[in-house]
Amino acid sequence: MNPDRFRTMVGLVLAAGVGVSAALIGAGFIAALAVGWQSSLIGPATATSTATTDFGGLAARLLTLEPLAIAQLGLLTLLATPVVRVAASVVAFTLEGDRLYAAITAMVLAILLASAFLLR
Amino acid sequence: MTPASEIGVFAISVAAGLIGALAGVGGGILVIPSLTIVFGVDIHLAVGASIVSVIATSSGAAAAYVRDRVTDMRVGMFLELATTSGAVMGALLAAIVAPALLYLLLGAVLLLSAGMQVGRLGEEIPPHDPPSAIAARLRLSSSYPDRRLGREVPYTARRVPLGFGLMWLAGVVSGLLGIGSGVLKVLAMDAAMRLPMKVSSATSNFMIGVTAAASAGIYLGRGDVDPTIAAPVALGVLTGALVGTRLMNRVSNRSVRLVFLPVLVAVGLETIARGLGFGL
Repeated sequence: MNPDRFRTMVGLVLAAGVGVSAALIGAGFIAALAVGWQSSLIGPATATSTATTDFGGLAARLLTLEPLAIAQLGLLTLLATPVVRVAASVVAFTLEGDRLYAAITAMVLAILLASAFLLR
Repeated sequence: MTPASEIGVFAISVAAGLIGALAGVGGGILVIPSLTIVFGVDIHLAVGASIVSVIATSSGAAAAYVRDRVTDMRVGMFLELATTSGAVMGALLAAIVAPALLYLLLGAVLLLSAGMQVGRLGEEIPPHDPPSAIAARLRLSSSYPDRRLGREVPYTARRVPLGFGLMWLAGVVSGLLGIGSGVLKVLAMDAAMRLPMKVSSATSNFMIGVTAAASAGIYLGRGDVDPTIAAPVALGVLTGALVGTRLMNRVSNRSVRLVFLPVLVAVGLETIARGLGFGL
């Protein structure tokens, strides 16, 4: 893999993460301005009086097209993008045959994942 | 929040994303005080929104800077090793270290660095030396296309161990105090490693999302990420970052430093205020 393809791959991961999350957050935000955060676009919302910071039961709430749930899915996508980018870089450096940087990036990924368990 | 407030939060976030994308920082310095003071948002929710702001600036700006070859991905990946391990250390230390003195110390360092930045205001491109043995081994020499200058600008990372050490400290500090992660990264690459300002800023942007993502899970779990606030912040910041990355191609390295300097001073003053107990 040449450096340009490597760059393209990492750039695409970032652009895809940003694009998908922006679309979901944007849809949720505009829908919320129209009907309110706690309502649903089709039928009654399943989440009755839950706190807006609750990320649980997202799948069921997405089925009712609740603006809040759509925005939350977008936010989760956004927050996951840097981690996915690091993981993609490990793959890209490996494909490029760059063992030194594949190892460095794998260590970064390991620290990231370890910190997720360590720091709670 | 009312729809009018939602739009207001969006507008301020556009400014945060624009400045963040140019200066290589996450925009927390603008987002947190705006949310708490102007919109009366609880500080925990404001900090949660600022984590979203950092990741949005980082990913939004990096998507463009990686494509435009301004981000140095090797430098970024290598230094992420230092920032992520430092951040874990900082979070572990947080339980045993009293931060008041650390805030004052960090604030003083930032303001001192700001003074040194003034001395470099006239510099467009740092002097280009042959790479040291360690920079050559790690392949930390590259070039970036400067559209303003209309040519490819070669550069080499100098004082790699110092830069790595400062990055580790930047990680510790952001894990411990939760402030200044972006400005410290830019300073380590600009002042210590002497990378061109645009490369320092773009590479910092590339890195800050990873540092923030390491702690994002904690904020989510604590219930500090409120979508009714974080959604307009994310959309605004992404919009601002999009504009900022376009601007970066048109302006000089000097102008990028001119955007960075006031941000550095603001973060320095805010850090000292926190150390004195006047936190926002």
